[in-house]
Amino acid sequence: MALPAVAVEQLVDWEVPEKQIGLWADAWQRFRRNRLAVLGAALVLFLVLIALLAPLLAQFGIIANPLKQNVSNIEAGPGQAGFLLGSDQLGRDTLSRLMFGSRISLSVGILVQAIILPIGLAIGLAAGYAGGRIDNLLMRFTDIWYAFPDLLFVLVVVSVFGPSLLTIFGAIALVSWVGLARLVRGQVLSIKEKEFIEAARSSGSSPFKLILKHLLPNSLGPIIVTVTFGIPNAIFLEAVLSFLGVGIQPPTATWGQMVFDGYENVYSNPSSVVFPAIAIGFTLLSFTFIGDGLRDALDPRMRR
Amino acid sequence: MRLGTRIRAISLVSAGLFVVSACGGSNTVSQNLAPASQQILRANNGVEPNSFDPTQQTYTYEGAVGRHVFETLLRPKLDNSDVEPAAAKSYDVSTDGLTYTFHLQTNAKWSDGKPVTASDWVYGFKHLLNPALAAGYVDPFFDTTIAGAANYGTIDVSSASAIDAFLNGLGVSAPDANTFVIKLQAPAAYFKWVVTLWQAAPIRKDVVEAAAGGTFASTDTTKAFAWANSATTIIGNGAFKISEIAAKDHVTLVPNPNYWGKAAILQKIILYEISDGNTAYSQYQTGALDMIGVPLADVTVVRNDPVLNKQAKLIPTNSNYWISYNGKKTPLDKADVRMALSKSIDRTKLVNDINHGNGAPMTGFIPKGMSGYDTTDNAQSFDPTAAKALLTKAGVTVADLSKLKLLTRNSTGSKTTNQFLVDQWNTNLGTSIQVDVIDSKTVTSRIRKGQFDIYGLDGWIGDYPDQQDWFDIFQTSACHSLNWGCITIPGYDALITKADGELDQVQRNKDYLTAQKMLIDNAVVGFMFQPYEYDLVKPYVGGLSITTGDDQNLPGDLRWTTAYITAH
Amino acid sequence: MAVIAGRPKRGALLPSRLASLTDSRAGSLAIFIVRRILWMVPVVFFVILITFVLMHLAPGSPWDKNGGRQLSQTVVNNLNARYGLNKPVTEQFWLYLVNVLHFDFGLSYQYEGKTVASLIMTSWPYTVAIGVISFLLIIPVGVGLGVLAALRQNSRVDYITMGFATFAASFPNFVVGALMVVAFSVLMYKATGGNFFLPAAGFGPDDHLVLPVITLSLLPIAFTARLTRASTLDTIRQDFIRTAWAKGLSERLVVVRHILKNSLIPVVTTLGPTFAFLVTGSVIVETLFSIPGIGRSFVVAIESRDYPMILGTTVLFSVIIALANLAVDVAYVFIDPRVRLTE
Repeated sequence: MALPAVAVEQLVDWEVPEKQIGLWADAWQRFRRNRLAVLGAALVLFLVLIALLAPLLAQFGIIANPLKQNVSNIEAGPGQAGFLLGSDQLGRDTLSRLMFGSRISLSVGILVQAIILPIGLAIGLAAGYAGGRIDNLLMRFTDIWYAFPDLLFVLVVVSVFGPSLLTIFGAIALVSWVGLARLVRGQVLSIKEKEFIEAARSSGSSPFKLILKHLLPNSLGPIIVTVTFGIPNAIFLEAVLSFLGVGIQPPTATWGQMVFDGYENVYSNPSSVVFPAIAIGFTLLSFTFIGDGLRDALDPRMRR
Repeated sequence: MRLGTRIRAISLVSAGLFVVSACGGSNTVSQNLAPASQQILRANNGVEPNSFDPTQQTYTYEGAVGRHVFETLLRPKLDNSDVEPAAAKSYDVSTDGLTYTFHLQTNAKWSDGKPVTASDWVYGFKHLLNPALAAGYVDPFFDTTIAGAANYGTIDVSSASAIDAFLNGLGVSAPDANTFVIKLQAPAAYFKWVVTLWQAAPIRKDVVEAAAGGTFASTDTTKAFAWANSATTIIGNGAFKISEIAAKDHVTLVPNPNYWGKAAILQKIILYEISDGNTAYSQYQTGALDMIGVPLADVTVVRNDPVLNKQAKLIPTNSNYWISYNGKKTPLDKADVRMALSKSIDRTKLVNDINHGNGAPMTGFIPKGMSGYDTTDNAQSFDPTAAKALLTKAGVTVADLSKLKLLTRNSTGSKTTNQFLVDQWNTNLGTSIQVDVIDSKTVTSRIRKGQFDIYGLDGWIGDYPDQQDWFDIFQTSACHSLNWGCITIPGYDALITKADGELDQVQRNKDYLTAQKMLIDNAVVGFMFQPYEYDLVKPYVGGLSITTGDDQNLPGDLRWTTAYITAH
Repeated sequence: MAVIAGRPKRGALLPSRLASLTDSRAGSLAIFIVRRILWMVPVVFFVILITFVLMHLAPGSPWDKNGGRQLSQTVVNNLNARYGLNKPVTEQFWLYLVNVLHFDFGLSYQYEGKTVASLIMTSWPYTVAIGVISFLLIIPVGVGLGVLAALRQNSRVDYITMGFATFAASFPNFVVGALMVVAFSVLMYKATGGNFFLPAAGFGPDDHLVLPVITLSLLPIAFTARLTRASTLDTIRQDFIRTAWAKGLSERLVVVRHILKNSLIPVVTTLGPTFAFLVTGSVIVETLFSIPGIGRSFVVAIESRDYPMILGTTVLFSVIIALANLAVDVAYVFIDPRVRLTE
């Protein structure tokens, strides 16, 4: 009958990871074989390369100076007046600004997620695993965090600590971690009661190992999706900060600000909005591929 | 120049129309009028008024409603050269210049049919000047002019008796039902303009008290404002009345059936509150709005569109933009440094490229269209070589300047303009000044405390077309309140006080001209340009008398009683 | 193995003490809900406290104007006196709390003479209308697309969904909204001579809803779809699903009975706060389509430092988010796969 078969299979399933030492090595192999994942990784590397090389390219005149204004050629379309991708509201070269903008925007997108991930994981895991009072207190804490006005919080944080890059990253991270924590908690709750966890616990495995080896790989999918979607979200939050007047100062180019500034020109020069959005989309897509590949690679059940 | 004469031509033609209609006594203006059910004008006011009590309003988007629902004693002529009768059919000034006697229109009625009496005017002025109500426009227009109002700022607002004593001591009285008298503290040639401000409106005591549920203490602000919260209790003496207030969406005006003057042809005016410029532009293109202000980003598109550019109107405004320098920050305390910065901006590029041609470069203070406009002093004109020479003369290096920051509000327009300004300085002088973009409220709080180096673009929209309204900005006493940079010139204060009170118009203009030269030559601020408004108006909207005093994005609204919709 | 044959363990989802209180599932659920509603009181208290502190830390005062003539100091003093802003901050806080307990949320600073409660109540219905309709669109479309993409992993449907999701996430919704207005309002008006086009702005129980709802729903649909897909993929690979396949159950049965219910936990987790955000307003959509809702008025209140409006709207939002998260937790109980496994 179905039940005992399931139980037996799950016992077997549970045993295998214990014996395997090279979980990560195995995952890496499988990742490498996933073509889309590799493509995603290559694209990210390409973007990082552009970010690193942009100043050099500008210095040698391969791309235009992103700060050079040309007010007689404001809002040029792609290909007009010598601008490959057009120009912005002050006549600055869009292509160049996109390349320089990648420096801030990639940093914001990726670093913010890097900050959020451990916080969200820690709180979500603690709440879900511990349950009871701790869960309640932590979740009421997230209710409070959801409810108070982010805009005001960010305004205050940046005015108190000054608009440095670190404060901005920190402020964005602080208003974005809650969703991930609640998601992780939900995942933990649903998996915690599964039989193989009980079996593992009754056999004396330490909770910490349990969490790492079983809970996490089994709940990765939604976590990865949340983190990848968080990247454009962080990029736009940086632009919102700037819109509020507490973000990265002009004339430094960032993709988010280019989209916001370009929005005004949606009738006269839609490319000023479309190109930075494509850059952001490109980034999101790359991380989506990587994310999918990562999840497939780490899924213990795929190893059959 | 050409634009100015074109505008005057329009207003002259419209004035002509007005005269014809008044004589004819009927609405058979030769245009092909649409039927009454289609006499609806839909415009975009952009923002919801914070209050519908005219005495409490301060912004142009509030005036857009207040001016139609309430009528002031006098109003500016179309060409801004002087005032003309409105709710008062005439007025006399005593020889010492201290007493103004207004003879009210004998058949003036409120929108509910009751006659407008002088005691309504007395109550209106007292309502305006009640310190507990904290009306934004009292200072400096009414407390520095009306007798007994000088200590407006020191009255204890928690004491009803103190407030009542103050209000009863004001120089406003109603010797009979049709005569309203105002006494002044000192002669003020510009006072005739002050009473054209829409805050100086009559208010119905019985309406206010009915809405408040009876008489109330002068300290009770909630009760004092209750009447202004619903369309049915907002009783005004203007040509229109409010028929509907849809919160955050629109305000609907209909003609006041009891208005003493010529009845409006329009049967409905809907003032929408669309804050996104592109949205208003879309609404105009899909026929949901009849007039809009063109968003800056779309000006070029409109200009190049063969259909739209015929519907566009470029209208000078009674305003001026400039750069504010903080006189307390070295090296900006030196006039030569400020002059050098002012001379390093190419205003033509600023107006034509950044502002898409919506303006006229200015190196002077008083804008075109107002008496006092003068082009003889070009000290601040664009000349980078001269600018560099001035810096050398002042002994100031590029490094000294480069630590300065240009305080910028967080709006798209400000950010774009200020990045251009900074780029001009850095290109023409070799500095590396940067913009400092901050949230708008914070900017205001900082300039009020003098915590800035350079602030741009500051500016002024004239409350009325008299020079007194302008020159008061740079008084020493206005330090931290309008004269952000706190830069003072010896003799300036005395000169403009003299001019403000001067009854001889010729001497007055001479004095103001001297004062203007003081401002320009000392580069108290860096004058940039006079902005023009670029609006789109549907071809079927006729009878517009456009003046520089019209509210923003509402061309001709000061005279919408003559506007009409042609059949289409 | 007693674990499998025995009673489902509820201790994880409910406060552990409760599990012993009653056997009845409905009964313990009711107590759970009541306790959570009681917990909303300290939550709202702390939200008010934090917001109060933030508001008074934020630079700029409600009386600073954004340009032109500023209010004189006397006027500012009078205004501060009128609204009690000259009292010490702690006293203002306690006064506010006391008033909140009487459901008095104070007068708005910006809109003279109007109460915060009346301002919120006139604006909120518009926001709720658009928010609820969007939510009702997001659930079937988002979940549906996600399940489809997962069941047909690496097929065309999957890639199209991924492409759409990427697009929706990289173009902020006001850009998409503006582009849609250009296309479906202005261009359509021109193309059909003014006969058939979608309105560019305004609220109405008709085609005025189309563009705002689509604009508001795009990103949540995309995110929900990707989330559902990921979670469904996780579920599909679990063995009890394999067993169901092996037993030869029809795909639809397997999907509905097993996959969907098991993969919905993370989706439900995010749908709760999504509902709360939708129903308390997106400032961007409300500004773009000129909808008189509370999303826009909240941002305006922050910009003008209208403290009572900020606090009132925040209190409303905190109640809604707490209720939404409560609904999510209750939903967990019904979705809990453990129940399914032992039946």
